[in-house]
Amino acid sequence: MPRLRLIAILVSLAGVAVSIYLTVVHYAGFVPACPVSGAISCEAVLSSPYAVIAGTSIPTSVAGILWFAVSAALWARPRRSLLLAWSMLGLLTVIYLLFVEIVLVGAVCLWCTAAHALVVVLVLIAVGRK
Amino acid sequence: MSARRPRPVRKPVARTPVWVAPAAIVAGLAVLVAAFLVIRWYVTPLPPKAPSQEATVQIVSTITTLPASEFDSVGQGTANNLIKPITGTPLKGPSGKLEVFYYGAEFCPYCAAQRWPLIIAMSRFGTFSGLQTTTSSSTDVYPNTPTFTFRNATYTSQYIDFRSVETTDRDRNPLQTPTAAEQQLVSQYDPGGTIPFIDVANRYAMTGAMYTPDTLGGMSLRAVADALKDPSSTQARAIIGSANLTTAAICKANAHQPGTVCSSSAIQSLEKNLK
Repeated sequence: MPRLRLIAILVSLAGVAVSIYLTVVHYAGFVPACPVSGAISCEAVLSSPYAVIAGTSIPTSVAGILWFAVSAALWARPRRSLLLAWSMLGLLTVIYLLFVEIVLVGAVCLWCTAAHALVVVLVLIAVGRK
Repeated sequence: MSARRPRPVRKPVARTPVWVAPAAIVAGLAVLVAAFLVIRWYVTPLPPKAPSQEATVQIVSTITTLPASEFDSVGQGTANNLIKPITGTPLKGPSGKLEVFYYGAEFCPYCAAQRWPLIIAMSRFGTFSGLQTTTSSSTDVYPNTPTFTFRNATYTSQYIDFRSVETTDRDRNPLQTPTAAEQQLVSQYDPGGTIPFIDVANRYAMTGAMYTPDTLGGMSLRAVADALKDPSSTQARAIIGSANLTTAAICKANAHQPGTVCSSSAIQSLEKNLK
């Protein structure tokens, strides 16, 4: 298996792990292990109304689990057009979530940022792949 | 036989290097983040102008003389019940009465939010004097949340004692230091160091704010106080709901005294939700 594909699958699985952690935190009702300093506050972000999918009580991290899981599956048997389309969907979602964190909530959640970074890495691998 | 013409060589077409698209995406993201930061800076409310001493007294009077019917009308409102039972030697103040202990800081927006219901709840058992107005930090989440500070406040009551520690001012400069006994309470019941931390007589403890500080975003103290007069307002449902939960905890810890407060239907109902 080419090295980039393997990296992409591992990054996807890391994304699944981070998203599962955030989902467990949401349903268990405790504050994630996260420093609170200035504008860094996982609690502020995860307790905001934007932490759940609009109109539901489902945390957005569940969508993260799905996205990363599908991403891992796509990278196992890659088709360029599908990978690009899926990556762009992820990138647009990350841009929206960055807008929510920075503009609407005014705080940054480090765990969410980790998940966003993993999405961006997958997008860069998909776009840069020959 | 004609001479064979040399085979035309196709001019190589310069291909876009592989790194260009990823670099463009990273650059685009950086520009978007910068734009979001500018928008955030633009929409961040400025600190409301500090009211005069006379106006402060009026605002405090407004929020500490709300009619009992309003407390009953709101009940828990939209407040999150963060009150957890704890065990330990009953916490008593200098006068021997059970004590409510508050530990927070002026920069902290969650402390800013939680002081409103704490003042309202405590005022049902006694009287504050020396409350001053302030706002949370301009550089933290929920910037410039309007609130009061306990730094120079005193509290008198025939039912309960109140002690407070504001560890820093709104610019995070050191302000007050807890005593060894108070630090022990924080270490024992708030090991995560979350503020605000409120200990009700070592019977109940709560950390954090029972409602989001965003509820007060961009409002003046006067506007918040006025909103509290309307039990259906967002602010009343959050703040008075939180005050009712705090009142219920105090009532339960303090043998339901005084009856005029603790026997109200809303408090009785909320006490059932406290373990």
